[in-house]
Amino acid sequence: MKLSIFAALACILVSCQSINYAPAVETSQRTGAQKGQHIDWATLREGRILFVHRCIECHTLPVVWHYTTDDWPKLVDSMSARASLKPTERDAILAYIIAARAQM
Amino acid sequence: MEPGEPRSGGFLTAGAIRRSPFLVLMLSILPALSSFAGVRHFTFLYEAPTSAPGSFESEDWVTWQRTTDPARSSEIAFRHEIEIGVTDKFQVSIYLADWFYTSDQDHSGFKYSDSALEFIYNLTNPVIDPIGLSIYQEYKGGDRVFEWESKVIAQKNFGPLVLAYNATLEAVWEGKNLGEREGEFQQAIGVSYEISPRFSVGAELLHEFVLPKWSDEEEIRNLFIGPNVSYRRANWFVTVTALAQATDSADEPDLQVRTIFGIGL
Repeated sequence: MKLSIFAALACILVSCQSINYAPAVETSQRTGAQKGQHIDWATLREGRILFVHRCIECHTLPVVWHYTTDDWPKLVDSMSARASLKPTERDAILAYIIAARAQM
Repeated sequence: MEPGEPRSGGFLTAGAIRRSPFLVLMLSILPALSSFAGVRHFTFLYEAPTSAPGSFESEDWVTWQRTTDPARSSEIAFRHEIEIGVTDKFQVSIYLADWFYTSDQDHSGFKYSDSALEFIYNLTNPVIDPIGLSIYQEYKGGDRVFEWESKVIAQKNFGPLVLAYNATLEAVWEGKNLGEREGEFQQAIGVSYEISPRFSVGAELLHEFVLPKWSDEEEIRNLFIGPNVSYRRANWFVTVTALAQATDSADEPDLQVRTIFGIGL
């Protein structure tokens, strides 16, 4: 019984951890470069930091590909006030999410 | 704060409370309807992330405790917290007034307990770092009581799953000339799973080592465990935890339920 509970918990942790909820900026940058997009490294790095610090104050991080590229601006805008985001911070988070999603 | 322990400074009678308990409960949460708050997944544990800089948050705590050994008593404790985000990694909280209503065979009534100041500094992030860490310090002072509490907060997020661990060392000076001393070491573990963007469920466990006069001769150990649930919507949240005592310690609550209401500005 104890082994079954431990095995079930281990499976849950492995399945959660196998998904990268905040992929590294470098990976997003390379993906963007391959697709011919202009990348502001500093903005993407700031966006990632804000994403993992501010958003988890209220909820765990969503999987970025669960929502479309068109969905994300509306989602971020709906929560910007609650997260005390300045306009530049909101733009940085959105840029990071779009770039991270592009590599999926 | 020990349940049923007599304190001075009462200002409300039991009669008034019996006549309008609902009114008193509503008054206790009204201050929460005016400020911003980050969501809590737990009520007996702290989480590693700190509030955004420049944010002002308000949270109201209501803790009900029932004790039956050695005598039957109940207590409802209230805390009103204002949380201020100073930097991306540092927050300060002010507990304006901690007060409680206690009821036992000998007496009942409301009493002021203390006010407190709390500091939390975030070191690492629970998502992108191997483990999220924060350090916590609280100073609490009241009528013939002074408490100093230090805490290490650890947290790791696995997607929708949040695991948290707090290690706490508390020192209490109370009584005449603050001559009575007591220490306590506590470990707390919490797990919370986000079922939906608005709803989380989980469990919390507290393990206490009570050290009267900083001595472990009596080997007082308390273990509490129970479920929690958290709901958040728009700019507010409510989290409830119910803990049952798993040990057989006298003068400790058999059951305690804590509710934290938080709201954003």
